[in-house]
Amino acid sequence: MLRVKDLALSYGATPVLEGVNLDVPTGKFVSLVGPSGSGKSSLLRAVIGLQKPSAGQVTGDFDAGEIGMLFQDDALLPWRNAEENVALGLRLKGVERGSAIATSRQWLTRLGLYGLSERWPRQLSGGQRKRVALAQVLAREPRLLLMDEPFASLDAIVRARVTGDLVRLVEQRGISVLLVTHDLEEALALSDTIYLLSHGPRAQIAGRYDVNLPRPRDPMTVRAHPDFAPLLARLWQDLSREVGGRAA
Amino acid sequence: MNRRLWVGLRQAAGLAAVVALWQWAADAGHLNPLYMPAPSAVAATLVQLFVQGTIWPHLWATFSAALGGLVIGLAIGTVLGAAAALTPFLGELLEPVMIGLNAVPRVVLAPLFVIWFGIGLGSKVALAVILVAVLVFFTVFTGIRGVDQKLVERVVTLGGRWRDLLREVYLPSVTAWVLGNLKVAVGFAFTGAVVGEFVAATRGLGYLLSFAQSSYNSALMLALVALIMGFVLLIFAFTGWLERRLLRWRG
Repeated sequence: MLRVKDLALSYGATPVLEGVNLDVPTGKFVSLVGPSGSGKSSLLRAVIGLQKPSAGQVTGDFDAGEIGMLFQDDALLPWRNAEENVALGLRLKGVERGSAIATSRQWLTRLGLYGLSERWPRQLSGGQRKRVALAQVLAREPRLLLMDEPFASLDAIVRARVTGDLVRLVEQRGISVLLVTHDLEEALALSDTIYLLSHGPRAQIAGRYDVNLPRPRDPMTVRAHPDFAPLLARLWQDLSREVGGRAA
Repeated sequence: MNRRLWVGLRQAAGLAAVVALWQWAADAGHLNPLYMPAPSAVAATLVQLFVQGTIWPHLWATFSAALGGLVIGLAIGTVLGAAAALTPFLGELLEPVMIGLNAVPRVVLAPLFVIWFGIGLGSKVALAVILVAVLVFFTVFTGIRGVDQKLVERVVTLGGRWRDLLREVYLPSVTAWVLGNLKVAVGFAFTGAVVGEFVAATRGLGYLLSFAQSSYNSALMLALVALIMGFVLLIFAFTGWLERRLLRWRG
C-alpha cells in the first residue's frame, strides 16, 4: 500500500500541488490523469524522492529498492549495451555481476529482445529501448511501479504491444502501479482506480473513479466492454471541465 | 572503388602536384634558395639529421616535454575541472582564474617559466602543462555541468549512490569529452614544448629551429616543421584509434 497524504509541492514561490491525497492498494493499478502542467509528474517525483514536498507525507510498506520508476524518456546509459543497462539495475541492488547479466538476458528475452542484448542503445529502435528500460525496472522485481507517460513516444502498434506485455507481468506478479498519463482510454484500459487531478496551480484531486472491468485484462479488447464507453464519457466530461476551468 | 580511398587518392595527388610545382620553380631558378629551398633540399636535410643521428637528443627532449606536459596537464585539468563542477565553492574560485588564463595567449608565460624553472626540461613541461590544463579544465567543467540529468536521475532511482553516479555517469561522460578534445590537447602540448625551447634551451626541436633561424638555414627550418607535423600526425592517429576503441558506443 502506498499512501500520499495532504501532499503539497512548489517550485520556488510557485505552488504546484496542494492537499493531494491518493492511495495505491497492494497489487492494484492506479492511474493519475489531469490537464497538462497540473503537476502529475511532480507528484511521481515526490513519491520516489526526486522532489521534496513542502508539506504532507508519502508513506508505504515498500523499501526504496522495491520501487521501480519508468520515465517518459528511456534514459538508458549510452555507453552500456542493452544487457549491461538492465544488469545495472540489479548490480545497484547488490546482485553480483555474473548473475546480474544472466538475469538481465532472461528479462530481455522475455520482453522480446532475444539477440539484441549486446546492442548499444543507439542501435535500438524507440520501442526496443523502451523494452530495455522496462526490463531494467522489472528485473529488480519491484513491488511498486511508478510510470510517467512511459509509452507516449511510441507508435500505436508498438505501444499496444508493450502495454500488453506490461499488464500481463503486472497482473502475474501482483505489482502495485501508479501511472501518470494524459491518455484517458489508456488509463481506463489499464487501471483499477483513476484519480483526476485538477488544473494548477495548487492542483488537487478532483475526482476518483473505480474501474470494475474484468481481470486478467487485455488492454486492447477491454475497450469493447459495455462499461467502458460510459466511464470514458464521464471521465472525458470531468477532465474537460478541469481544462476549461483554467481557460476561464 | 571505395569513396574514402578515392578522396584520399585525390588529396595525395593534389599534394604531390604542389610539391612538384615547388620543385620545378626551385629548379628553374624562380625561388631564392636562401628563403625557399627546394623540397629535395628539405628532404635531404631531414634524411641527414637522422643519418648523422644529431636529431635524436632534440627529438627526445621535445617529446619528453610535450608528453610530460600532456599527461600532467590532463591530470591537473581533469581534477580541477571535476572539483570545480562538483563543489560550487571551488567553482566560484576557479572559474574566473581559468577564464583569466584562457584570455591571454598562454605562451607569453614562457619567459617567466624560464626564470622560475630554469632553461632545462622544467620550463617546457610547465608551458605545455598550462596550455593543456586550461583546455582540459573547461572541457571537464562544462562537461560535468552539462551531464544529462535524466541519466543521473535514472541511476539515483535505481538506488545508485554518489560512487555509482561517478562510475556510471560522470566518468564515462568526462572520458568522452576529454577524448574528443585530446587531439587539440596534443597540439597544445607540442606548442608548449617547442615554444618553450624556442625561448631558451640547450636542446629540443624548438632550440634547433631557433638555431636554424640565427644561421639563416631555411632548409633545416622546413625540415623541422615537417618533422613536427609528421610526429603530431602520428600521435593523432593513435588518439583516433583510442577514441574509436573507447567510444565504440557512439558509433
